[in-house]
Parts: sequence; structure tokens; C-alpha cells
Amino acid sequence: MSTAAVGDLVSQPYRYGFVTDIETEKIPKGLDEDVVRLISAKKEEPAFLLDFRLRAYRQWLQMQTPDWAALGFPAIDYQDIIYYAAPRQQSKKASLDEVDPKLLETFDKLGIPLSEQKRLSNVAVDAVFDSVSIATTYREKLAEHGVIFCSISEAVKEYPELIERYLGTVVPSNDNYFAALNSAVFSDGSFVFIPNGVECPMELSTYFRINSGDTGQFERTLIVAEEGASVSYLEGCTAPMFDTNQLHAAVVELVALDDASIKYSTVQNWYAGDENGVGGIFNFVTKRGHCRGDRSRISWTQVETGSAITWKYPSCVLQGADSVGEFYSVALTNHHQQADTGTKMIHVGPRSRSTIVSKGISAGQSSNSYRGLVQIGPKAVGARNFSQCDSMLIGDRAAANTYPYIRSQQPDAAVEHEASTCRISEDQLFYLQSRGIGFEEAVSMMVSGFCRDVFNQLPMEFAAEADKLLALKLEGSVG
Amino acid sequence: MVAVSWTEPVTALAAWGAALVADLDGAMDGAIGGDSDGAIGGAPELASAAGPGADANGADANGADANGAAGSRLPADSDPAAPSPLSASPLAPSSAGDPAAPALESRRQAQRRLQREPLPSRRQEPWRFTDTAALAAIRPARFSGEDRRLAALAAEALPPPQAGWCRLLLDGASDPLAGVSLPEGVEPLPDDQWAACLPAADASEEEPWIGAIAAAAGPLLALRVRAEAMARLELVSEAGAATGVLPLQLLLLLEPGARLELLQVHRAAGASLTAVQARIAVGAGAQLQHGLIAQGNDDGVFAADLALRQGFGSQVAFSSVVSGWGLSRLEPRLVQEAGGARSRLRSLQRCDRRQVADQHSAVRFEGPEGQLDQLHKAIAAGSGRSVFNGAVAVPRAAQRTDAAQLSRSLLLSDRARIDTKPQLEIVADDVKCAHGATVTRLQQEELFYLRSRGISAATAGELLLRGFCAEVLQELPEAAALWQPLHHLLGEEAPAP
Amino acid sequence: MIRPDAPVLLEIRDLHASVAEQPILHGVNLTIRAGEIHAVMGRNGSGKSTLSKVLAGHPAYTVSAGSVLYRGEDLLALDPEQRARRGVFLGFQYPVEIPGVSNLEFLRVATNARRQERGEEELDTFAFEDLVRERLEVVKMDPAFLERSVNEGFSGGEKKRNEILQMALLEPLVAILDETDSGLDIDALRIVAGGVNQLASPENATLLITHYQRLLDVITPDYVHVMAAGRILRTGGKELALELEDRGYDWVDAELAALAPAPLEVG
Ligand SMILES: Nc1ncnc2c1ncn2[C@@H]1O[C@H](COP(=O)(O)OP(=O)(O)O)[C@@H](O)[C@H]1O
Ligand SMILES: [Mg+2]
Repeated sequence: MSTAAVGDLVSQPYRYGFVTDIETEKIPKGLDEDVVRLISAKKEEPAFLLDFRLRAYRQWLQMQTPDWAALGFPAIDYQDIIYYAAPRQQSKKASLDEVDPKLLETFDKLGIPLSEQKRLSNVAVDAVFDSVSIATTYREKLAEHGVIFCSISEAVKEYPELIERYLGTVVPSNDNYFAALNSAVFSDGSFVFIPNGVECPMELSTYFRINSGDTGQFERTLIVAEEGASVSYLEGCTAPMFDTNQLHAAVVELVALDDASIKYSTVQNWYAGDENGVGGIFNFVTKRGHCRGDRSRISWTQVETGSAITWKYPSCVLQGADSVGEFYSVALTNHHQQADTGTKMIHVGPRSRSTIVSKGISAGQSSNSYRGLVQIGPKAVGARNFSQCDSMLIGDRAAANTYPYIRSQQPDAAVEHEASTCRISEDQLFYLQSRGIGFEEAVSMMVSGFCRDVFNQLPMEFAAEADKLLALKLEGSVG
Repeated sequence: MVAVSWTEPVTALAAWGAALVADLDGAMDGAIGGDSDGAIGGAPELASAAGPGADANGADANGADANGAAGSRLPADSDPAAPSPLSASPLAPSSAGDPAAPALESRRQAQRRLQREPLPSRRQEPWRFTDTAALAAIRPARFSGEDRRLAALAAEALPPPQAGWCRLLLDGASDPLAGVSLPEGVEPLPDDQWAACLPAADASEEEPWIGAIAAAAGPLLALRVRAEAMARLELVSEAGAATGVLPLQLLLLLEPGARLELLQVHRAAGASLTAVQARIAVGAGAQLQHGLIAQGNDDGVFAADLALRQGFGSQVAFSSVVSGWGLSRLEPRLVQEAGGARSRLRSLQRCDRRQVADQHSAVRFEGPEGQLDQLHKAIAAGSGRSVFNGAVAVPRAAQRTDAAQLSRSLLLSDRARIDTKPQLEIVADDVKCAHGATVTRLQQEELFYLRSRGISAATAGELLLRGFCAEVLQELPEAAALWQPLHHLLGEEAPAP
Repeated sequence: MIRPDAPVLLEIRDLHASVAEQPILHGVNLTIRAGEIHAVMGRNGSGKSTLSKVLAGHPAYTVSAGSVLYRGEDLLALDPEQRARRGVFLGFQYPVEIPGVSNLEFLRVATNARRQERGEEELDTFAFEDLVRERLEVVKMDPAFLERSVNEGFSGGEKKRNEILQMALLEPLVAILDETDSGLDIDALRIVAGGVNQLASPENATLLITHYQRLLDVITPDYVHVMAAGRILRTGGKELALELEDRGYDWVDAELAALAPAPLEVG
């Protein structure tokens, strides 16, 4: 009984599938150099950025869609996508009161209240709707500490020298196919700058909402932590239900200088398509952190539950001596979802250390792959890596793949990888049930126990949210 | 001699492949690839066999089976005009129902493959980490008369076989069964049973490139072990200082309940390529203890594609020790066709200087309740490159599979490199699959323990290295001791036997 | 056996040491003469194993101050193997498992290294087998253990007996036994203690690290030292061990606290 029942449990309706009816400014479908220029012009960008975009566009033309990931998807028609869509409002409002109430309502419905009365007291939020950021809370309070938190479009205007100094230095525009595409047409995203020695006084968070059906979302996020600075950042994502696939190709760059620390958490719940695999987001994301300074630290935590296809490898380049990279991931796939996710830990500096903990849960006919690279360069004396990749299978039609690649060129380094596969055994369920715990709760307990190592890494404010999300996915017919 | 590397233009590689195909086909003088449909041109018996009912035996008169060994197929290298011995067999009727047709078809496929893909390049995923320059540096032709003389000379110096073991010498030219009395229960495999060993013609996945070199030359040895029989066989190739290509295609069928201890030994001291393709079918309840020792030199290349198919309830223990080659590529591929079988894989490879040692293993469970216990060990010293790719596939039909894979690599020098990539693909929920990989230097706690007992750091390191190897060496069949695998592995001068 | 005129074998002076950049030892002083048996007791984490590792020369431990003289020679300047060859032996609290390395071969190589140092001839495999079989008697060990890999798959008790077997073969002048008694049942404890007593002589000395009185019931120490926070806090005769057994270690805390500006803060 249990396998089928457990399978039912992970099927639950998507709660964020509504569409906001709002007047939107869109540019025509299709992509060419003029479209790139048009996007840049609409954002009133300086010349260096237009050059950056054009260079990326030309590189992209030369590149081919990668085919090495264990993913199957129809060819994407890049001329059938709208590359810029924005709710029609003149410019970003100085005050939230001036923001279209429909937008505020949308974010309310998503559980991200932005208005002064309702917003979370200890989390600053940048809300991105289709191609633009509509509001950023607590900007002034953060500014008092010297912290810059705003949309990347604003940052381009207000802090062009910082953008020019850091943009594209972690993920070069020709890094891969989707990074090149993003670099050419990126719309909005967040910019965070934590100056020397500052510990960011609150959690920062960006919430991404795709609303239009035929729009691609190409967000770009850049976080810089100067010497001794630290920040914890969280992104959340949802999209309405459409029966066509939408492309989301983001680039996230993190830079940590000496003794700096960046914690980046993601709760990804894009629309995953229906139970037959129709619709859903294609989530092709390049996330990379550069531990540039000695003793710097970058930690990725992700809870991936949505998207029809996820293709994402938040990585760390551990260049500084004694730098630390971490990757904690829970990926849950159901129905026909495909997730190919993992990380790369590139050890360059001496005594750099990394930890990878990946938990994959596959149900339905989905496919869930961990793909990782741990590379120890010749100068990484005393480097250490430990990786743990566990898969949980629910039902006999789901696939769990593990591809942990290790390359080492330094004898005085130790790399250790462990992986296991398990399922929720009837014995375990029975044991819990015999102690009076309901079936559904028992399953949920087992799954969250399986994921605990990762959830523990989430900022407190969001750990509960992630647990809720998983529980939601597990809520179902039984009981 | 054609010396090319993977960075060189494709045309040079194509020349290498074309030359090799021409030579392996045994009837070529350069007129390769003339046919628009990609069939091998210039090889009349192959070209004509393409159509049903074609008379494949037009040149029958040659009678390649002159020495009468029905189970062994001799390449007709000595006479470039001779047709393939496969089609020339007087036993083979010239019809579509030709029992040897699967062998012929697989040979044709292999030749086409080599032409299409003259040498693997790093752009191909299975070769991404493996530099094939050493392969391209091999003269793309089988051993000449002089090479065979050199190989024979070296073979004379081989240690005599262990008591109770039957040795077959594989020189790629003469019949390995000539003058040999096979152990009881072992006999040449009748042509009509070759298909049991050969890959299915409609195999969904493409065979690895590496096997095509041997397959293009056709079977050299085809044997079966009768049901319930018990036998020990040693298959030895010694290339000595010969240069060129030594293709060895081996077909082996273990009938239900048969038990075989098999030791393959491949040695070379010159710029040669020993290309092995072994197709082994292990029947229901049969047991195979299979060892492979490959001892080479810096100019030598060892390439082996070993495909084992296991029937229900069968047991296979395969242990390999590969060292000393400029380039070695071992591809053990194991399929548990009905599940319920046990597979134990042990492998050890060492590379030093500028050597490249590569193993790509693949295990697939096609039925429930199979077991796998795999341990791969690698040592990289000098500027050596060690590559391990270990695939394990557990599809839906393979419920209750219990598979464990462990890869342990020792990196002993800061110029050496280790690439290791386990690959687990699971579509069954009630399975136990674990894998692990470590890349380290020698364990510092172990070193200290030994030193705290007065053992010098150098000796302690050597002891640990030998200990590291022992776990695999001790699982080789008993006849392996003859070949002093540890001495060769550690690059020591072997003491006189 | 205390003989004030016996030669000093080991002299530890104001030893400070750290591991993983964490200072652990904060000035250990200890003098050991030939013929003596010393016991070091103390709570978990007090630094006993650290002291033993430093004396044996574990590379992960750094000495930041102080000195150790072994028969007048600077012990700290020697490699671990040189110390062993000259007669310093550490019985490990957690003996290391070494897969693939034969126990017999390991014992032979080690024994010969020590013999060579003493100017004795090396033993060939046959002569060594005779010797090892004889010494197996000391710890009542099954010869089958010789055929296995070093400590691999040995039970806790078997590992400890293997340690004493090594001691019996290497005939050290200073044997440091780190919790050799822990994890042993009463029979095994007797065997191990019997071995230690049998090997003790007026020429050598033993430093027992232990938690329990029960070992000291069978091996009578001449001195008992109490270690706390990386120092030897108190030294007495065998009655000190009994006192500890009675009163526990709580008084140690009081005494530590009294030791005003003690360098307790670590890191
Ligand atoms: N490798 C190490 N890294 C960090 N701390 C260590 C290490 N080894 C020992 N320590 C610490 O040193 C202290 C003393 O440990 P130890 O000498 O093992 O104590 P004892 O043997 O008395 O129980 C403990 O706090 C222990 O945690
Ligand atoms: Mg201790």
C-alpha cells in the first residue's frame, strides 16, 4: 500500500497559479540586436552596459544549447519569447503608496506583504514582477548602515562604478549558453553591497514573480561583501499556471572579499506544470560565488520544489586561503518534473574547505539528478571536501541519478564523497504508526527528517516556510 | 608510422582509423570508404554479404580453416589477398541463415564504426578526461612478420603455466588451440552459438568504441564451458617488443551451472596496442572467477572492452590489475540480464611518469534482486593521469537490487591528477544503492602508527601502498602469482622466478 | 620500584603543546626514572592523550614551549620512528587499522628496525616467527591474528593485546600506555596487565594513562599524577588513585579555580 499512498501525498495543487490582471508594457516577441538595444534603452543604461549586453548577445549567437544534462525538453524557440514586460507605471515609486495596489495585492496573496503595516519586521524585500523591481522595503534603514539593497536597474543608475567593477566578473558573459543569453537581455534582479566590516542588520530577500504568459524572465543578481562584511539573503519564486513553458534564465553572482561571508538561500517554487507534464517553468540558472578573499565564506542553501525543468548548479570558486564553500540542497520532483542540480566546488586556495549536502526526493515519473564537481587545483594544499548525496525514491517510476565528479591535482588534500539511496520503508512507517502517528504525518516526518541537515541551514525566518512548503507538497488525500 | 594526437586535425585521425580498418580487414589496399552508403568498400565478402542471400563465400577456395581448429578463427594477415576467415569457413552455408552471420555482421559494424570514428576525441563525453595521444602514436597495422618474431621471442621467456591451469597463447596470428588439449568440459564454441555471446544486433546503446578495434578483426577464440563443468583457463598475450596492433576478440560461453576460473594476462614491452574485446555469457547459476592482469610499458597501449552477461543466479567475480602502460583503457561492462545474480568487481590501476590509466565500468541490472559489490582503486604518481568512471544502472525492473560502489584513489604526486566520476542511475524505489569516493594521499594516521613502531617514513609509505594494493591483488585467481603483479605494479624489478 | 639513584629516562619540563591551533598542554612537568611505574589519571579531555602523542611525535601536534629529554637527549628533535627505535613506545588509545598490511610483516619490520638500532642482527622470517610465537604467550594471543591485516576488524580487546604484543617485541625503555585498559573485560584486563608486569624491569619505566583504579589494582604504580586542563595538578603515591576513586574529580575543579591566573583560556 504505502508506495502508492506516499505517491498521492506528494501531489497537491499549486497555490500560486493565479494571474494578476494588470496593464503591462511588452515589447514584441523575438530577439535580435535591436531588442538588446531596446532593453538597454528602456532601462536608460550607460554605454558600458550596452556594450556588455551586445558582446554577450554576439557570443550567445555562436553557442549551442548544452545537451549534457540528463534533461529532455523540446527545442526552445527564442524568437517566440517576449524579452521585456513591465507593469505600466511611469517609474519606480518613491513610496509604496504610489505602487499599483494590484501589485501590492499580488504580493500579499503570495505571502509577501510589502506595505509598511504588514511587512516582516526583520526582513527587507525586493519584489520583482516580470521584468522589473516594483518595490524594495527598508532601503533607508539599510542605508544607515551603508548597506545598498536595491534593484539592479537602479544600481546601474545610482552606483554605475560598482556595477562596472563587479558585473560579469564571477560569471563571464560567455560562461554558458544561458548565462550568455541572460547577459544580453537581463531584466531586473537585486543588487546588494555590504561595505567593509558591516554585518548586515537584517535578512535581505528578493521575491520573483513571473506574471505574463509569454515572457521570459532573465533576472540578474549581484551581491558583494567587502572585507569582513556579512549578509544573509533569500530568494523566493512563483509563477502562474500556464500550459506553455516559460523560460527563466537567471544569473547570480556573489563576491566575498577577505573574511566576508555570504549566505544565499533559495526557496524555488515556480510553477512545475500539471500532472501530465504540460506547462511549467524552464529554470536554467547560473549561480556562482567567488570567495575572492582569504577566510571568506559562501554558503548556498536551496529548496527546489517547482519548475518543469531545473538546471542549476550554485557553485563556489574558493580562491582565498582558508576560504569555505557550502552547498545544502533539497530538490523535490514529482509528476514529470526534471531537476538536474548540484554544485561545483573549485578549490584554488590553500586550506580551502567545502561541504556538500544534497537531498533529492523523486516521486511520480520525475527525474532528479545530482551533478557535482569537486576540483582540487594544484595549489590547494590542505584542501578538504566532504560531500553527501542522498536520494529518496517514492514510487517505482521516478528516477534518481547521481553524478559526483571529482578531480584532484593536489596530494595534500582530501576529498570524500558518500551517497546513498533509500525509500520510506514500510517498517519505518509501521513503527511510527504503531506509536499513534498518522500515516500522513509519519511520511512528512520521514521526509523532513531526511531533509533536516539542509533545513537547519536556512535562516530562521524561512526554515518554517520551507518546512511548510514541503509539507504542502506532501499534503494530500490520506487522512 | 602515423603519429597524431587528439588536438590534431581530424583528417590525421581519420587516416589512422582508415589505415587500421584496412589492415584489420586483411584484404585492403587503401580503397576504403568508396561506398556511398558507408559500407566497407574493397572488401568483397563484406560488401556482398550486406544483401540477403548474397554469396558471401565467393572466395571460398582459400579455406582459411586449414588447421582444422573449428573454434578459432585466424586473421588472414599473412596473405593480404585472402578473404575474411569468417566467411571462408567451409561450415558456413552461404545464406541469410548463416550461423556465422551475427559474427560477420558484428565485425562489419565494428569496421564501419572505426571508419566513422577513427579515434575518439575529448569532445566525446566518455573520453573527456583521457588523452589518446599514445593510441594515435601506435602504427595502425597488425603485427608484421618481424613483430610476430619479436613477440614469439618474448613468449618463450614466459613462466610455465601453473599446475592445473590450461594456458592458451594469443598471438593474434596462430590458432591458440593448436596443439593444446583443452580441459574437460571446455570446447570450441559452435558457430551457431556465437550469437549468444555477441552483442544483440539491435542493441539500443552503442557499444564502446574501444572494442571495435578487436571486433573489426573478427573472433580469434570462441569457447564454451559445458554445463556443470569446472575448469581453469589462462589466456595470455605477450607482445614483447613488437610494434603495431594486436587485436584479440574472445567469445566465451559458460553454460548453466558451469564454473570457470579465468585469468587473462596481457603484456607488452614495445609500442604496441593490445586491443581486447571479450564477450562472456555466464549462464544461469554459473560461476566465473575472472582475473585480468595487464602489464605494459610507456609506449604501449592497452584497450579492453569486456562485456559480461550474467544469467539468473550466476556469480561473477572480476578483478583487474592494470599498470605500466602509456595508456590503458579498461571497460568492464556487466549486465545482469535477469537479475538475481551476484557481481563482485575489484580493480586496481596505477599510473606513473606520463602514463594515463583509465577505467570506465558499467553495471546494469535488468531484473530484480541483483547484487553488486564494486571496489575500484587507483594510484597516481609522477605526472600520471588516472581516470575512473563507474556507471551503475538500476532500472524499474530491478527492484530489491543491492549495489555498492566504492572508489578509492591515492594521489602521490603534485603533478599527477585523478578524475573520478561515479554515475548512479536509479528508477526503482525498493533498492539499496550506496556509493562512495575518496581521493587522498596516504593516510597520515596510518603512517604515524607505523612510524611510532620504528618503521621509517619511506618503508611505512611502501607498506601502506602495498596494503592498498593487497585488497585487490588477493582476489585474483591463484595462477596470478606467477605474474608477480605487485612487483610490476610498484615498478620494482621483479626478482628472478 | 623507586630508586632515587636510578638513571632518569624521561624528563618533561614545562611542556606546552597545541593541536589544530588549539593550545592543550599548558606546562607539564614530569620526571621518570628507570624502574618506575607512573600512572596519569584525569578527566576526559584533560590532555592525557595529547601528552602521549606529543611524546611519540605525532606530526599534528606542535610543541610551543618546554622540553623533553629522553636519556639526556632532546626527544622532540627526533622523528617518530627514531623515538621508537631508541625505546619510546606508545600504546595507542585507539590503535589504527591498516587494511592490506599484514600484521606479521608489520611486526617484523618494526622489530628489526629496533634491533638494528640496538646493534643486534636482523631476524629473518623464520627466526622472527619463533620470536613472535614466544611473545604471543605474553598476551595469550591466537597466532591467527598474525595473518590478518594490522588491527583490521580486531575487537577492542584484541587491538589492545596487539599493542602489548608490539611492546613485547620492541622491548622499550619507556612505555606509554594510553588507556590500554579501557574497553577490556576482566579476563582481558588481567592478560594485558600481566603482560605489562612481565615486561617491567629495573631498566625500563612505564607511564600508564588510565581512568580506573581497577588497572592499578593489578599494576601497582609508584607515582600517581592527576592531570587537569593540560597540566599535572597533583602528584602522589598509589593512595592518590584510591582517593580519586572515592572522591571523584570535583575537588580538581576547586583546586584549578584556586590556581588564579591560570592560562586556562584557550584559543
Ligand atoms: N586533533 C584535535 N583537534 C582539536 N582538538 C583536539 C584534537 N585532539 C585533541 N583535542 C582536544 O584536546 C583536548 C585534550 O584531549 P585529549 O588529550 O585527547 O584528552 P584525554 O586523553 O585526557 O581525554 C580535548 O579538549 C580535545 O577535544
Ligand atoms: Mg585520551
